[in-house]
Amino acid sequence: MKDPVTLRVSIEEDKPFLANWLTDPDVLPWFPLNNAREIEDAVKIWVGYKEQGSAFTACYDGIPCGMAVVYLQRYKKLKHQALFAIILDKNFRGKGIGSRLIEHLKKVGKEQFGLEILHLEVYEGNPAKNLYDRLGFQEYGRQPFFLKEPLGVYRTKINMQLELK
Amino acid sequence: MSIQDITLSDAFQIRYTEASDETFLREWLFSKQTIQWFSVSDEAEVEEMAKIWISYSRFKCSLTATYQGIPCGIATLFLMPYVKLIHQSMVYLVVDPKLQRKKVGTALIRNLDHLAANYFKLERMHYEVFGPNPLIELLQKLGYHKQFTQQRYVKDKEGYLSRTVLEKVFKA
Repeated sequence: MKDPVTLRVSIEEDKPFLANWLTDPDVLPWFPLNNAREIEDAVKIWVGYKEQGSAFTACYDGIPCGMAVVYLQRYKKLKHQALFAIILDKNFRGKGIGSRLIEHLKKVGKEQFGLEILHLEVYEGNPAKNLYDRLGFQEYGRQPFFLKEPLGVYRTKINMQLELK
Repeated sequence: MSIQDITLSDAFQIRYTEASDETFLREWLFSKQTIQWFSVSDEAEVEEMAKIWISYSRFKCSLTATYQGIPCGIATLFLMPYVKLIHQSMVYLVVDPKLQRKKVGTALIRNLDHLAANYFKLERMHYEVFGPNPLIELLQKLGYHKQFTQQRYVKDKEGYLSRTVLEKVFKA
């Protein structure tokens, strides 16, 4: 049976999917974005990494269902490590797509970009942290009160990383 | 007047950063003594970093120390672009290597703290320091505490350096 999930480098046409997922009120609290202008800005930066081949889209039967990006560093002293971000269409969670995207980042990160370390930022309470724990990411620092929602609720940023052996 | 106590002298002043300070910033960043504590490693990278750094001066969130009218240090709030993050900021600081350990850094940190808390109404500030940079000790003396250290963040010919983030809370 043909695997319905495929991974490819992101394309310009993926932007509306990403913007739509980020706009979801269940998802937005886990990102530092607050309004349409900020989302548009973040989408532009995220998908812009396709030019370097480090933005990826997972498709289910050819339709985008998740994306991940490795924010490759510009300066030589930092090129051995990189921050990444990931998002999934909520209708496609629990199908192993997030794990596949991250495994792909690990492989491409090491083999194509020469990365030694992948790191991430996740806000406390985000269920995605369970996935990062399961995939071996280690917490190295917490920043309480890092994010402040417009109504005054603060969120702690948890910093995690994984050595690509 | 001794150069040891320039912070007490009339010849030492702090003003808002101006675009023309970029030349000095580039020169300090590129010096051997300074570049080891920054993520840049060649002229092109220094130029790029200096351009971004100085661009914040248009928000009046950057201070320049001058001695006898010549810039000798810059400290800048890298204000956050997103609403949910604007209550806090990262700071970048550099002092002319020829005038380090003369309390220029102390004066810049104190003045920038004041600007951040009272004008920008920031609730907390962060400094990101690489390796065993003596700036860590100075920041701790001035009320900053270590928040976390990320190992192997910087890699150069000599090996790896860690990244330490220090924080000061203005409003609990």
